[in-house]
Amino acid sequence: MIWKTAAVAVGEGLLVLILPLVLMSVINRMKARFAGRTGPPWLQPFYDVIKLLRKGSVYSRTTTWVFRAGPVISLAALATAATMVPVVSNRCLLGFQGDVIVVVYLLALARMFTMLAALDTGSSFEGMGAAREATFGMMAEPALFMSMLVLILSTGSLQLGTMVGAGLSAEWATVGSAMVLTSAALLIVLLTESCRIPVDDPNTHLELTMIHEVMVLDHSGPDLAFITYGAALKFTLLGSFLVHSIFPHPDWALHLLIPLRVCEFIALALVVGVIESTMARLRLVKIPQLLAGATVLSGLAVVLVLSRRGA
Amino acid sequence: MLLILLAAVPGAFALICLALPGERLRQAVLVLGTLANLALVVVSWVKPPPALGVYLALDPIGHLFMSLAAVLFLATAVFFIGYHQRRLVSERIFLACFLALLATFNLVFVSSHLGVLWVALESASLAATPLIYFRLGARALEATWKFILMNSVGIALALLGIFCVALSASRIEPQVVLTVAGLGARGAELDDTWLRAGFLLTLVGFGTKMGLAPMHGWKPDTYGEAPPPVAALMAGAMTLAAFLGLLRIFQICSYAGLEEFAGGWFIVFGLLSIATAAIFVINNPDYRRLLAYTSVEHMGVMTLAVGLGTLGAYSCFLHGLHNTLNKGMLFFLAGYLWRMYGSKQIKDVRGVIHKHPLAGVLLMAALCASSGFPPFGMFFSELGILFAAAREGAWWTLALFSVTMCIVFIGVLTAMLPVVFGEPSSMPEGPDTKLLIRGEWRKKVMLAPVVCLAILALGLGAYQPPAVKRALDDAAKALFPGRAPAPTETRR
Amino acid sequence: MTLQSTVDGLLVLVLLLDLAMLGASRLMTCVRLFALQSFVLALLPACAELLHGERPGTHAIFIGVAAIVLKVGVIPWLVARIIRTGEVHREVEPFIGFTTSMVLGALLIVGSFVFAGRLPETSHPFSSNLVPVALSTLFVGLLILVSRMKAVTQVIGYLVLENGIYLVGLLLVRQTPLLVELGILLDVFVGVFIMAIVVYRIREEFDHMDTHLLDELKETQG
Repeated sequence: MIWKTAAVAVGEGLLVLILPLVLMSVINRMKARFAGRTGPPWLQPFYDVIKLLRKGSVYSRTTTWVFRAGPVISLAALATAATMVPVVSNRCLLGFQGDVIVVVYLLALARMFTMLAALDTGSSFEGMGAAREATFGMMAEPALFMSMLVLILSTGSLQLGTMVGAGLSAEWATVGSAMVLTSAALLIVLLTESCRIPVDDPNTHLELTMIHEVMVLDHSGPDLAFITYGAALKFTLLGSFLVHSIFPHPDWALHLLIPLRVCEFIALALVVGVIESTMARLRLVKIPQLLAGATVLSGLAVVLVLSRRGA
Repeated sequence: MLLILLAAVPGAFALICLALPGERLRQAVLVLGTLANLALVVVSWVKPPPALGVYLALDPIGHLFMSLAAVLFLATAVFFIGYHQRRLVSERIFLACFLALLATFNLVFVSSHLGVLWVALESASLAATPLIYFRLGARALEATWKFILMNSVGIALALLGIFCVALSASRIEPQVVLTVAGLGARGAELDDTWLRAGFLLTLVGFGTKMGLAPMHGWKPDTYGEAPPPVAALMAGAMTLAAFLGLLRIFQICSYAGLEEFAGGWFIVFGLLSIATAAIFVINNPDYRRLLAYTSVEHMGVMTLAVGLGTLGAYSCFLHGLHNTLNKGMLFFLAGYLWRMYGSKQIKDVRGVIHKHPLAGVLLMAALCASSGFPPFGMFFSELGILFAAAREGAWWTLALFSVTMCIVFIGVLTAMLPVVFGEPSSMPEGPDTKLLIRGEWRKKVMLAPVVCLAILALGLGAYQPPAVKRALDDAAKALFPGRAPAPTETRR
Repeated sequence: MTLQSTVDGLLVLVLLLDLAMLGASRLMTCVRLFALQSFVLALLPACAELLHGERPGTHAIFIGVAAIVLKVGVIPWLVARIIRTGEVHREVEPFIGFTTSMVLGALLIVGSFVFAGRLPETSHPFSSNLVPVALSTLFVGLLILVSRMKAVTQVIGYLVLENGIYLVGLLLVRQTPLLVELGILLDVFVGVFIMAIVVYRIREEFDHMDTHLLDELKETQG
């Protein structure tokens, strides 16, 4: 019995580790399709990560241990967060009351060390990227927290493992509009934190227009592999919040639930690909307005849920 | 039937005015229209008309106000013929709106349904807007914009208040009709919170239209820039129409037992208005804005009086009667001065009694009447308020009322006495020769209504015919339908 | 989704449109958002009757049609016409920034929900969200009125205020006679018409539409 549970857990864990790169591949191919090209091979992100892991690193003389520690700590934080977020099923490896806050702050920790590594290089471009990342991250946090608050109020639990599932589907029936608002806010937060259009263009070559890319300009070799994989993992974690909000499923049998979830994730990746291909990046002064809008939307959702509870 | 005629006849005359060519003809129609209206009102006193369904009915308060408005409109129509001499393009619209205003006011006074009252009052606001802008020019435009924006917002809030009052009755089955009588019959079952909210909202909303402080901001600009006949109408009649809206809600509150609550707020707003007027009346260089502030003050006095019981209500209606007559006189004379001197500044208009003796005497009389000199009626109404406050035990109210009224008294007279008796200004008469009088007959036509109103004011102040006393008594009693009729101690 | 949640959804849409109007920087966008909001509001009386299990009566349908014709068709067209013929800079110029306006609007909405929770229950509300949404629209209308400099945006603020009051009136659909409701609609229409004329004259006279520059009339101590 315990072997079966362990096997299932390990299988789920491996799936969670592979899924980020799959999603990146889907997004890139979607964007290529829109541009009229075929796009890179399906396994390209895997090839990239493996190639980078086999290379050597070059470290600048102006950097200190922070620069070397940055990618490692950020990946570690994200991997720890991945153990507490239910991604492909309704359960996760670790869980305790209040782990939602731990997860959000682990994501913040990852971001902080990326920023510190960027500042450590002493380059002005990377410093500019770090400043932008700090501002936009700060503005996205209220939206993220209030969306989490909606889920907490709906399911009455502070544990991510139990915040999803049947409780939410009841919520869609009663306060559907609040869930729509929450999902919209979570989508905007996802696009902001994973540095996608309309907040940041991952394919730009111009440093002045970059936010995330410019912070990792000086990393190479395994460090760059960690960062690339870490970004994909962050996308998957935040995407799982969104997917679980839009499609809450009760605890079905795993062989039904997991493929369904994987399909939903791929659908999310397709949608993000479409958004990236059809929109232009917003002017930097408009991004705070967008994030304020996301905060207002999620705030409104909280008010609606509260009033429905009170009524 | 008569009720519909009261609203429809001026409207019909308005349409005729629109259609007629020829300035003289239109002005004749104007006078005829107001005369016909006065005739209908007299008929309604002789043979009181029955109510028309739930929408229209004539109660004592509305009847009183309607009569006052009818007299004022006739006087204004006559004055306008003497005053108006510049041929402006939109004169046709002006005269049509003039009569339309009378029609909407009549509708307000005869309506018994709160919704009809609101629609009529808003239409009155809209009909008044082209009248304010009649003079064209930048300042008039600014005044018009402020007027329409503040009035529209105010009256929208009053609509919300009426909705809240209706919501207070929404739990009662079967559905009550939105009339004072209908709501009053189930007065005890009305929800308290909604009714209070509704009262406060209508106080703010209708108070904006009346010009109670602190919603009075539009009044000085509008009365200063509008043509004097229009200002007279607004000060004398529109304030009564808005006040009627307020009184209807007060009647409902009286049925529901919220009299002290409502009366308390009336006293607060009334005192605030008088105090505001006191501040701005001192040293005001523009005599038309000064008159606007006296209008704010008189509205404050009337509102205050309602909060002081039945004797206070009697004084309030007496004050309203004389206020209409006085404002007519004052604004007509302001128009006369404008035509003679071409300036709105007090420093330019001095020593009227030397150059225009009749106008000077009338101005003195009007000022005395407005400030509450005996034997004019306002003396007795203000005395009545003092007695009512003493009877109710509202000593703070009495003290504040006395002090602020004194300040206003001093302010108005120190500003305006130089106008009457001062040294004639060295300026030649009228810097703008276009404004000078063309034809001596205009002077007579402008002053004739003032003389009539002055005689009326003096007469009704010194001696109150029993018919007038009875009308005022009925109005005062009708205001407190919720309580058993108390003996009203009248001053005569 | 059930009819109840559809009605709730419509009310939330009204709220979102309020916020969007606070954040819109182009005048034409404001007008179109107002037209959309009026359209949603015009549908609500019929929905209310459906919710009570009855077919929508002539009263509700008539009011809906009249509201659509006037508030979705004629009034936005009128306002758009002033904007087109009058304005060079077709942008809203607020006293407070757009983000601040939106946050203030959100705060007012939260305040309305809290305040409405304290008001006593009315009978036959077709949604518990109706009174809070009505109050929010009212406050947002007042905010637009007060914080914008251009005369046209003040007119739009007044219209949003009227929308909020109309929402409250929806609670009383059975009590208010058809005549009165039509009268209210007509008054709003004529009011906006007159405001439009005044705004047009202001533009002609002053060459701008900033009402906060209309300050010649004030108290000057002699």
